[in-house]
Amino acid sequence: MTLPAMQYDRRETTAWITRPILVMAVVFATLPLWIETVGLYQYLGVEVLIWIVFALGFNLLLGYTGLPSFGHGAFFGIGAYAFGLAQFEVWANLWFCLAAAIVVTGAFGAVTALFLAHRRGIYFALMSIAFGQIFYFIASKWTDVTKGEDGLLNIARLPADFGVAEVSIQSNTALYYFCYAVMMVLIVLLWRLTNSPFGRTLRAIKQNETRVAFIGYPVRLYKWAAFTLSCGIAGLAGGLFAMAQEGAYINIMSLQWSGTIVLIVLIGGGFVSFWGPVLGVILYFVARDILGAYTEAWLLWFGLMFVVLVMFKPDGIAGMWRGWVAPRLRGRGATTPAPRPAESRS
Amino acid sequence: MALFEATHLHKRFGDQVVLEDISLAFEEGQVSGIMGPNGAGKTTCFNVLTGRYKPDRGRVTFDGEDITGVAPHRIVAKGISRSFQIMTLFDEFTALDNVVMALPSTRRRGFDGLHALDGDSAAQDRAAEIMGRVGLKGREGVNAKSLSYGERRALEIGVALATEPRLLFVDEPTAGLGTEATARLTDLMRELKRYTTIVVIEHDMRFLFALADKISVIHWGQVIAQGTPDELRANRWVRRSNIGELANA
Amino acid sequence: MLYDLIPHIINGLALGLLFALLALGFMLIIGVMEVINLAHGSLFALGAYVALAVMVPDGGLPYAFMEPYYALPDVPRYVIALIVGPLVVAVVGAGLELCLRRTYGQDPLYGLLLTFGAALVLEEGIREIWGSSEYYLPIPRGISGGFIAGDLIYSTYRIYAAIFAAAMIGLLWLFLNRTPYGAIIKAGAHDGEMVRALGHNLSRLRLFVFAFGAALAAIAGIIMAPIWGIRPVVGVDAVVPAFVVIVLGGVGSFWGAVSAGLLVGLVVGLTAAFATDWSLLSMYLLLLAVVTFRSRGLAGKASVLES
Repeated sequence: MTLPAMQYDRRETTAWITRPILVMAVVFATLPLWIETVGLYQYLGVEVLIWIVFALGFNLLLGYTGLPSFGHGAFFGIGAYAFGLAQFEVWANLWFCLAAAIVVTGAFGAVTALFLAHRRGIYFALMSIAFGQIFYFIASKWTDVTKGEDGLLNIARLPADFGVAEVSIQSNTALYYFCYAVMMVLIVLLWRLTNSPFGRTLRAIKQNETRVAFIGYPVRLYKWAAFTLSCGIAGLAGGLFAMAQEGAYINIMSLQWSGTIVLIVLIGGGFVSFWGPVLGVILYFVARDILGAYTEAWLLWFGLMFVVLVMFKPDGIAGMWRGWVAPRLRGRGATTPAPRPAESRS
Repeated sequence: MALFEATHLHKRFGDQVVLEDISLAFEEGQVSGIMGPNGAGKTTCFNVLTGRYKPDRGRVTFDGEDITGVAPHRIVAKGISRSFQIMTLFDEFTALDNVVMALPSTRRRGFDGLHALDGDSAAQDRAAEIMGRVGLKGREGVNAKSLSYGERRALEIGVALATEPRLLFVDEPTAGLGTEATARLTDLMRELKRYTTIVVIEHDMRFLFALADKISVIHWGQVIAQGTPDELRANRWVRRSNIGELANA
Repeated sequence: MLYDLIPHIINGLALGLLFALLALGFMLIIGVMEVINLAHGSLFALGAYVALAVMVPDGGLPYAFMEPYYALPDVPRYVIALIVGPLVVAVVGAGLELCLRRTYGQDPLYGLLLTFGAALVLEEGIREIWGSSEYYLPIPRGISGGFIAGDLIYSTYRIYAAIFAAAMIGLLWLFLNRTPYGAIIKAGAHDGEMVRALGHNLSRLRLFVFAFGAALAAIAGIIMAPIWGIRPVVGVDAVVPAFVVIVLGGVGSFWGAVSAGLLVGLVVGLTAAFATDWSLLSMYLLLLAVVTFRSRGLAGKASVLES
C-alpha cells in the first residue's frame, strides 16, 4: 500500500544550490528572450512561474506528506482576494499586499487544518473537497466583499519598492522577472525545507504515520504545519496571480481548478521528485496552448492522459525520467558516478 | 515499586470484551514476557500499555507517573518505546535514516526547516552505532525495503532502541524467523537487557523461557498465571494447557 | 408556519430518496471494489444528458436521422429515456471499472485519483457534446405542473420523483435480498475470496456491480434533472450528498443509507425554504459536521474508508 518514493544523493540534500536549481535559474532567466521564437507569448511565462509557485507548495502536501488535498484552489483564490482587498482597503504597497496574501491565506489554512490534521487518505481528500466548496460558495455569495461572479477588478501591479529605488512591474516582462525572483527564492527555501529534519519528518508521515507517532513525533502538529505552510504558499501564488490577471476571480476557487493542481503535480511526478510539480506545470501550459490551438477539448485529452498515467505510470514524468532517461545518460557519459551504497542517502 | 504498572485494565471493542481486569507490573532491569495463545488479547494489551488505545477502565503508570490515555508521542518522550509485529519501517529511507529519524536529537530539531538532516554527522554516527548493536553493521546505506526479512526485524528493534527508551516493548520479535535467526535475536536481547528494561510479547515459548525473568500468561483477556519460567513450568494451569506443553518441549 | 413548510418537506423527501438511490449505487461500488468513485456524480450527469438527447430534438442526436422518432408522443420517449440513459451509463461505468483494475491492491489513493480523472474526462466530454449551457429535461404533461391541496401548492413532479425513487429503492432491496445475484453481490461486499470460493467469477462480479451502480446513478440523474437542471458541473453537486449519505448511514447498511438520504434531503430542502442560495452549502456543512463528529456514521462500523 505504499506510494512511490523520492530518492536523492546526500551531496544534493546538503547543498543550498544544486544542479537542477541552476538549470531552473538559467532556463527561466532566459525564457523571455526565446519564448516568442518558439511561437508562444510573454504572458504565458508569468502564468507558468506563478503556477510553479502554487504547485511546489501544493506538493509539500501531496508528494511529501502524502495528503491529497482536493480543495487547494480555494486557497489560491483566497490569496488573490486578500491581495486585492489589502491593496484597495489598507495600503497599496507591494510587500505589504503580498505579505497580507500569505498571512491571510495561511490563517484560513491554519483553521481548516484544525479539522483536517487528524485525517488521512480518503477522508482527508473528501474533507478537503468540502472545505474547498464551502470557501467557493462563500466567495460566490458574499458579493459585498468579493464582487461575486464579476470578480474583484482593477487590481494593480504595484511597484516594487526597494527603499533606494522603486521598480515598476507594469509590463509583462517586468512582472515576469519579479515572479522569477520570487520563485527562485522559494525554490531554494523549499529545497532546504524538504531536506531538513522537518521535511524528512513529513516524508516519514507519508510512509507510516503510526510509526512516526511511536518514535515520538506529534504527527498532527506536523500535518497541521505542513497544511498551513502549503496554504501560505498558495496565498503567495494567488497574490501574484491577482497582479498578473489584474483582478481576482471566483472560478479559480472551483473544484475543477483544485483538481487541476492535483492533476498537474501528479502528472509531473510530484510523488517521486521535488521537480515533479515544475515539469507538470510546464506540460500543462504548453499542452493548453498547443493542444488548445487545435481543439477546444484539450482538457479532455489532458484528463485522459492523466487517467492513463495513473493506470500505468503513477510516478509521472519525473518517474519516467528517472526510470528511462537518467540511467541511459549515466551509462553513456558516466559523468555522475553511481554513489557507493554506504554513501547514498535517500 | 515496579517501573511500569498497569492495574485493572479493561478494554472492549463494541460488545466484545478483549481485556478484562488485567494487572501487570514490570521491574526495572528485567526482561518480562507476555504470552498466550493467538486471540488471547496479547496485542491489544500491548496497544493499551503503549498508548495506542485508551483503556475503558484501569490505570497505567510509568515511574510513578500516570500515563493512562496519554498520546503515543508523549509516552515516547517519557522513555517508553515499542517495536511492531507488523513491520512499520520507512521503506523509502535507508536503514540508517530509519534509525536517524528515531533519535531524540533528530526529534528535538524536528521543526528545523532550514538545515540539512543529512549534514548531521553526530546523529549518523549515533545511528550507525545502534545499527551495529542490532547486528546490521555494513547495511546502513541499503533501503529499508531491500533488506531481508530477518534484517528488517532487527532494524525494527533498532528503530525502537534509537528513541533511547528506559522501557522497550517488543511485539512478537521472532514471528517468521528461522531457528538460527531466533538464536541471534536471543543473544541480542540478552545484550540489550544490560541497558534497558524489556517487555516481550511472544508465542515462541522456548525463546521466552530462555530470556525472560518473569512471564505473565494471558488467556481470554485475563492474566491466568504469572511467575518466573521455573514457577510457570510447575504451574498446574500452564502444564495442563497446550501452552505448558510447548514450553516443556 | 409549520404548515407552510409541508411542500418543502415533501420536496426534501423527494430529494432525499434520490440521494439515497444515488448513494446506494455508490455504496455497492465501495463494498465490492473498495473504491470511492469520484466519477459517480459525472455518471449521474451523463445519465441526465443521455435522457435529454433521447427526449428532445436538439439534445445532441442528429435530428434528420431521428426525425420520425421525435414525432412520437412524450410519454414513450420519456420511458425510452429512462431505459436508454441507464444502459449507456452502465456501459461507461463498465469501461471505467476496466481501467480501475490496474489500481486494485495498491494505495486506495490511486483509485480516488483515477476516478477523479475520469470525472474530469466525463465532464469535458459532456461539454464537448452538449456545450456548457444549462438545459432542462422536459417531462410528460401528466407529471408536470402543480396542484393545490388545502391552500398550498404542491409540485406534481416532486411527488412523482419521490414515488419513483422509493419504488426503485424497493426493487433494489428485493434484488439484493431475494435473488441469487443479490446474494453474490452481498458476499462480494463481505469478502472477495468468498465469491471465488463459491465458484463465481470475481472480475465479472466487479464489472457488473460497477455497471449496475453507474446505472443507478443515471436513473437518479434523470429523475433529478427537471429539479436541478442539467449542467456539466452538476456531477459535483451530486457526488457530495452521496458521500454524506454513506458516511452518515454507515458503509454497508442499506436502510442506514435510505434514512440518511432522507435526512440529508430534508436538511437541503428546508434550507432551500429559507435561503435558496445556500441550500447546497448546507450539504457541505453537513458533510463537515458528520465527518468531524461521527466519522463512523450512525451505524458506527469501521470501514474501508478509514484506511
